[in-house]
Amino acid sequence: MQPVLSINGISKSYGSIKALKNVSFEVPEGSVFGILGPNGSGKTTMLSILLDILKADSGTFAWFGQPGSPETRKKIGSLLETPNFYHYLSAVDNLHITQAISGRGTDADIDHVLEIVKLAERKHSKFSAYSLGMKQRLAIAAALLGNPQVLVFDEPTNGLDPVGIAEIRELIRELAIRGKTIIMASHLLDEVEKVCTHLAILKKGTLLTAGQVDEVLSNEDIVEVSSGDPDHLKSVLNEFPGYSSIKQEGKNVRVFFPVGTAKLEEINRFCFEKGITLNLLSVKKKSLETKFFELTND
Amino acid sequence: MLTLIKIEWLKIKKYPAFWWMLGIVALTYPGVNSMFYYGYEKATNGKEMTNNIAKFLLGNPFSFPESWHSVAYFSSFFILLPSILVIMLVTNEYNFKTHRQNIIDGWSRQQYITSKLFDVLIVSLIVTLVYVLAAAGFGVYADSSSVSQWTAQLQYIPLFLLQTFAQLSIAFLLGYLVKKAFIALGIFLFYYLVVENIAVAYARFKLNDIGRFLPFEISDRIIPAPAFFSRFGKDAKASYDHALSLIPEHVIYTILLTTAIWLICYAVHKRRDL
Repeated sequence: MQPVLSINGISKSYGSIKALKNVSFEVPEGSVFGILGPNGSGKTTMLSILLDILKADSGTFAWFGQPGSPETRKKIGSLLETPNFYHYLSAVDNLHITQAISGRGTDADIDHVLEIVKLAERKHSKFSAYSLGMKQRLAIAAALLGNPQVLVFDEPTNGLDPVGIAEIRELIRELAIRGKTIIMASHLLDEVEKVCTHLAILKKGTLLTAGQVDEVLSNEDIVEVSSGDPDHLKSVLNEFPGYSSIKQEGKNVRVFFPVGTAKLEEINRFCFEKGITLNLLSVKKKSLETKFFELTND
Repeated sequence: MLTLIKIEWLKIKKYPAFWWMLGIVALTYPGVNSMFYYGYEKATNGKEMTNNIAKFLLGNPFSFPESWHSVAYFSSFFILLPSILVIMLVTNEYNFKTHRQNIIDGWSRQQYITSKLFDVLIVSLIVTLVYVLAAAGFGVYADSSSVSQWTAQLQYIPLFLLQTFAQLSIAFLLGYLVKKAFIALGIFLFYYLVVENIAVAYARFKLNDIGRFLPFEISDRIIPAPAFFSRFGKDAKASYDHALSLIPEHVIYTILLTTAIWLICYAVHKRRDL
């Protein structure tokens, strides 16, 4: 299947600062693709290039197999960096402009998307009178207008309260179920981990990794064990063959194995034979946060 | 094309500053000309010899067909009013970051500049309409016996439109490049009111009038001072006739400069990061 987006060797500098260094990856159709990275890692620069706001120094990209153009952008609902609207116009009037430029949606759709983001009651208020969260909701409404197949969200939950964050997360899940491709930049790891199927991690303009979330996260198996005497447990497990590292965390001991090599039965038997009865034995998935810090820390 | 104009109209029609500026222009143009008109009335309406001399010298600059020329000349002093609006229209886009959003939503960079060109054209047409109404009003009011001559000197309508569009294009370029409304307005007012006037006056006496090639002066010269200025002696007549003879040349310079301004905008916008 042709990827929705393919990026080949994109580089971009601002003077002496290299914002992106030869970045390449592909976004498969129907994926929720998270672009992760600390502040200043190049996430927004990347999305800006893909939407023709910035010009890449080198490299190419293709949407739906075609070079980026106004026609490809019209098919993509995008929220880039901040909600950008005419301050003196109402939500409805602003969406009329979005609709007229992109050709996406109808008058009825405008009401519909405002209902989705819960702005229907304030649809005739001026944008300048909106709170930060309401502005963000309007930007999401604009992206949803006309039900595009591809959505680009740059920090979609910026400025939202906890309820708003949960609602947007739910909305993204629903969109994914309906087969939309969603490209989402974020530095909120929890947010990405909860909704994304694929991810790319950027650091100082370099792509560290990209792929399916499971693949990226599970480059090792983590087995968590515990017993009445964790210190003794750790010293016994030191003799267990095949692990790559071992750590004691409070009452629990974590044993790390190369991916696919952890065998719980063998660990259980080994401990039992050494006279230790385990009260905990489970395989832990590495959290995105752990992985992220591992990759991005110098 | 029509879609671009419709979208720009969606942006402009609810912009309060647009209507304020339109109202101010609609009051200023007739207002300023009224001041000159009443000055003229006062000077010529008495029964004394001086009044008759004044009438003889001035003719009636506000009767047809001369009103097309006089009203265009006096109104053109106030180009800075619509200029403020044009600068606001372009710097607002930076301020709201909608210059980015318009592209994200699917405009090409070229379409963005074309839409702004239409903004400047729309404002120029509205200002020209106000001028036409004012000039026609004065023509009818000042001397009803000359109404039949209204078709002479109609060339001042397209000349006024060209001058307005050319000077508003300079304002646009400034707003487009500077991006910040107050800085652009400051530079515009200082240059338009102070720098260029001094430079033109200096060049007229010392530098073989090379000041006529300065940005605003190029198009200022397509509407020279009204005919009555030529009635104050032989030199004045010669200088008026010379100014009239330069109009076609300055029309070409104006078109060239304005074309260059827009080509610069298209070229810069095609390449620059937004």
